[in-house]
Amino acid sequence: MTGGFTGKILRLNLTEHTTSTINTSKYEEYGGGIGIGTAIFWDLVKDKTIDAFDPRNVITIIGSPLSGTLGLSAAGRVEVNGIGPQAYPIGWFTRSNFGGRFGAELKYAGWDGVVIEGKSDSPVWVKIVNDGVTFEDASGLWGLDAWATQEKIWEEVSGGLGYGEWLQLGPGRDVGRTTQRPSVLCIGQMGEVQARDLGCLIHDAGNAAAQGGFGAVWGSKNLKAISVTGTGSIEIADPQALMEARLWAKQFAPRPEEPSIPGPTHFDLQACRTGDAFGGKRRKAARPQACMGCQFACRRRQDTGEGNESICVEAYYYNDWVRKKYGKLNEETNKACDLVQKYGANVYPIREAIRYLEALNEMGVLGPGKAIDTDLPFDELGSVTFVEVLLEKIVKGDDIGLDLRDGLVRAAKKWGRLEEDLKSGLLAFPYWGFPEHGYDGRGSIEWGYGSIISDRDMNEHGINSAVFWYPSRYMESGQLTVPLEEVVEIWAEKLIPFERDPYMLDYSTENMYSEHIAKLVAWQRYYSRFWKQGIGYCDWAFPDFANNYAPNNRGMSPEAEPKFYNAVTGKNISYRDGMEIGRKVWNIQNAIWALQGRHRDMVKFADYYYEQPLKGPYPAPVFVDGKWSYADVSGRSIDRDKFEGWKTKYYQLEGWDTETGWPTRSTLEALGLEKVADELESKDKLGT
Amino acid sequence: MVKKRVKVKKDFKQIPACEGYIVVDPKKCCGCQTCMMACSLVHEGKINTKLARIQVIQNPYGHYPDDIDVQQCRQCVFPACFAACPVPEAFFIDTENGNVTRIDKSTCIGCQLCITACPFTPSRIVWNFEEGVAQKCDLCVDTPYWSEKGGPDGKQACVEVCPMEAIKLTKEIPTQIGDLGYKINLRGEGWPLDKE
Repeated sequence: MTGGFTGKILRLNLTEHTTSTINTSKYEEYGGGIGIGTAIFWDLVKDKTIDAFDPRNVITIIGSPLSGTLGLSAAGRVEVNGIGPQAYPIGWFTRSNFGGRFGAELKYAGWDGVVIEGKSDSPVWVKIVNDGVTFEDASGLWGLDAWATQEKIWEEVSGGLGYGEWLQLGPGRDVGRTTQRPSVLCIGQMGEVQARDLGCLIHDAGNAAAQGGFGAVWGSKNLKAISVTGTGSIEIADPQALMEARLWAKQFAPRPEEPSIPGPTHFDLQACRTGDAFGGKRRKAARPQACMGCQFACRRRQDTGEGNESICVEAYYYNDWVRKKYGKLNEETNKACDLVQKYGANVYPIREAIRYLEALNEMGVLGPGKAIDTDLPFDELGSVTFVEVLLEKIVKGDDIGLDLRDGLVRAAKKWGRLEEDLKSGLLAFPYWGFPEHGYDGRGSIEWGYGSIISDRDMNEHGINSAVFWYPSRYMESGQLTVPLEEVVEIWAEKLIPFERDPYMLDYSTENMYSEHIAKLVAWQRYYSRFWKQGIGYCDWAFPDFANNYAPNNRGMSPEAEPKFYNAVTGKNISYRDGMEIGRKVWNIQNAIWALQGRHRDMVKFADYYYEQPLKGPYPAPVFVDGKWSYADVSGRSIDRDKFEGWKTKYYQLEGWDTETGWPTRSTLEALGLEKVADELESKDKLGT
Repeated sequence: MVKKRVKVKKDFKQIPACEGYIVVDPKKCCGCQTCMMACSLVHEGKINTKLARIQVIQNPYGHYPDDIDVQQCRQCVFPACFAACPVPEAFFIDTENGNVTRIDKSTCIGCQLCITACPFTPSRIVWNFEEGVAQKCDLCVDTPYWSEKGGPDGKQACVEVCPMEAIKLTKEIPTQIGDLGYKINLRGEGWPLDKE
């Protein structure tokens, strides 16, 4: 077995309350995480047109060889795959991912992943203690929020002894001991009521597999939680090389007490340096907090216990409303953050729901006795009370709460407003029924295109450190720590397998429909499907191409990714090899979508992307008149016809049928995917 | 490896004090457990945080600073683990490496008396259930999977990998009262969060 892997994936049959084992070696060629999850889904789900809530839907939770190891910023991340109920109009086969320590603990317990099938008759939670797996009655947990659930499970697993001392996990001298609380993944109330776009999976305080609706799928399966405790060892092929790699990586990050210098890297966004812009009400009495094995510590834990382990949108989504109500930011925003974590609610639709409902209320169409009747307390908007009332309405199914359980897009459709509001942008849901992430696809074209060509708000940041955050800071400060020409040169050198094409970073309106951008989007698909979502390198840390903290401004990618991987596994793959595996996984996914009913004619943004101008200022790199510069690209929209032309170029690049967007036999067979081609052909979904 | 034998009952007070001590700043710790992973990697050649000789214990819902504690071996001046060991060969003071208290796993009989004897919670002696022996922090004197020299005059894996620089080696004997000497403030002027 490859170093890093245990060789076993746990298969849970919720219908029968039985377990079995899948040999990891059967799927190892797909890498890990999303690759293995996708391949297992392909094999186990014969009818890929089933609904997300069908008991035959299979959810995979898979780590990688680097889970639980010193693989930089990879030890903690875990990929979740399956059919998700969030996307509109079809719940695509989709993905989510979360950090923390669950993936590591699963590996220490002897498992490379978990596969969930069927549906339990009654609420159940699964207790994994090394190779001992039991189905436990969750009737006492059902109804509890995600934090209370985990605390109750911790108490149960420790037998009431608590944590801090060595806890022996059974009788006998051969049994391991642990000082650690179990790693638990669970749903809150949102998952229990099967809220399509809100139900997410929560681990510890702030790790969430939020997008896709997997929490709702668990709710439909009556699965409340999976708890894992492990005391085993992970075999490492070359321990010395792994330790050396870890120490080598230190040179690419600022030391913890160094001042932050904004640059073309995400590394200065650590909690040590993060200001209010990237969180809620940030308190000085706090520590930086990291996922397992990460050197960047992007989160915090605070003296109030509020906002623990939260950063990014869940931490600051409510800031503007709090400021509006109270005139300044206060602790209400941290309380609002914790509410979404506890309820297990996907914050992206929550944020857009509040915006949308507020707008409809101001328009006079939503409120008590209005066309959309609700007694939501808009006078409390900005206090945590408003969020609590909103979440409770959804959980209880009170007034519009029942509509919102189906997702905001489906609610808008029921209210007769979908087409109009997607046209105006009042409902900012540009792709597949997912809300705006925060990087508008009309400006951040890799984000928009990557999302619509796949299955969801892609939430892949790697490129946007250089194309959005760095220019955003430049627009504020007027200073560039690394000249843009140098950033482009470094990136162009490192964008394997499309190296030496600097125009992949030209986001000008003239270039945004070009083959260069097709290559950029393809690069990101392959990179994410292997190195990030497969092997687990954190989206917030990788790739590290241009980095002002690094020697000669050259970050650790693409050397780092195979360095850690090979040290752990004993393999000798190159970065390029990994990209090719990513391309293979990406092709299987497109095949699944084809079987689910996708056709290129469906691959369209919401109307407002074509008809409304991008609001500004919006920074992006452009190459105009022979010069590179960061420019404001606001004011533009996406040209429908030109985007259709871009899609054709993209499909040609991928070797897919340009009429349908489906993979072709020649492309699939060249990737060793004959069986995928055969199934597509049997269902008349094979591209020609 | 040369072992210097020190008889327990008659010569206990003559145990030379260790020349190096791991001190930590729990307020600086980010809970990444990299120290724990590195410890087992360099000693055992595999990764198992439950075999680590430093333990970071955390509560995700805790209120800073009580959400994390870091529990390291204190290289006690009067090592209760050493005193409890019934096997003359198993525990020894390594006088060639700065008087680090060490366990010779090849002679340990696995009675676990040292684990019970450690006065701290959790016990700083780790039960290696895979090998059926006790093990403890040796300041990285014996790290077959790391080429750096360890001991009080060398490097320690946990110190080197900690991304927050929350673990240090000191040559001075820490105050032996409670945690005062072993859990200290390592946050300097550049630390942007709580400095106290």
